[in-house]
Amino acid sequence: MYNPKDIIDIIAGNVRKTRNPFGIPKFLVNRWHKGFDMPGKGDAMLFTGLMYQFVPYIEKSTKYLAKYEDTFLGNFIRFAGYIPSYLSGLGLSVITPGDEKKKFNGILQNIAKILKASKVDFFYRPDLDDYSGVLLYDLGDQEGFVKHARYVAGKLKAAGIKKLITVDPHTTYALIVLFPKYVGESFEVKTYFELVNFQSKNGHRHVTLHDPCFYGRYLDLSEVPKKVLTDLNVECVPVRNAGQFTNCCGGPAESISPKLSTEVGDRRLEELNLTGEKIVAMCPICLGNLRKSGADVEDLSTVIAQCLEK
Amino acid sequence: MALLNPNFAEEMEPFTEDTALACFNCGTCTAICPLIYEHFPRKMIRYIQIGAKDRILENAQELWRCLHCGLCTQTCPREANPGEIILGLKRFVVANWRRS
Repeated sequence: MYNPKDIIDIIAGNVRKTRNPFGIPKFLVNRWHKGFDMPGKGDAMLFTGLMYQFVPYIEKSTKYLAKYEDTFLGNFIRFAGYIPSYLSGLGLSVITPGDEKKKFNGILQNIAKILKASKVDFFYRPDLDDYSGVLLYDLGDQEGFVKHARYVAGKLKAAGIKKLITVDPHTTYALIVLFPKYVGESFEVKTYFELVNFQSKNGHRHVTLHDPCFYGRYLDLSEVPKKVLTDLNVECVPVRNAGQFTNCCGGPAESISPKLSTEVGDRRLEELNLTGEKIVAMCPICLGNLRKSGADVEDLSTVIAQCLEK
Repeated sequence: MALLNPNFAEEMEPFTEDTALACFNCGTCTAICPLIYEHFPRKMIRYIQIGAKDRILENAQELWRCLHCGLCTQTCPREANPGEIILGLKRFVVANWRRS
């Protein structure tokens, strides 16, 4: 386990200086919309919170963290804070494989396709799409979280944004619960899967749906994706611990203790594998962590988008 | 020997909702916690109740094992919200680090 103070100082410093936890310049992280026909005006703004875009970088950086956890060299992480954020961010960006970035950008493109097929009046403004700061909240850096969230909400309010469409549970929770509570700013927030509205019976498959903690417990949304899939003729095989009693994928511990994170992830994967069907996740952190445990996981948006193509 | 601070629950107030005293230490949170780690989070909540601030600070690192998954809060028979208490302790410790 790393000293939490060292990790929090690095992440908080990066968010303060670059508005994201890895220090990677936003134009390098948020590229999914390039060359993809996206409306610039509409009723609700698609707000990715950059979480899916971060997954390849999380995977790369936690690989190094796992290598040095509980070793003598691991103690030197405290000096990482002396490296300028953009420099370490650029370095991380260079060593992160392009095909992984492409894969996760594809998930967001699928979400946009789903919204278009559902005739949702939405638009995308990359300049307003920022990281929500939720990791700072989870790590206990309340002051850092509130400052960052104020910045994000302030930009959205100044642009007159009232409605947001989200793609991951952590950002959704931040916008629905944390922003009103700690920043005093509210938006009308819907997840993309609550807006799915197209007819297709092309699913013809069985899947194992892993409910993330934030949709299952904190936001009580587990039934929605299940219904969406059922309507598309995709059967969700029952999982032992699901919905409000879903089990964690272990992802939230990955920055402080990759070992612990993998241990918890392995246990959840064992449980999910009991069904014998392909695992489907709807959270970038779950997706990344279950993959680390060796699972072949698909994103919910991929399964829904496949029904469009057939 | 631990030094007890009877006003510690009050000291925690700016960092979390005042639910720690509702806990009757049944251990459901520990039984359901995916960490399967000693007496976590029950032990930490007990430390708040008896005002063992030093013990919390000595063992602060353990707090960041918590995944904030919410299973403890979901199953707590006293609605003491153990998950939020642990998050509040993290905030308390971070504020302490920043002050020192």
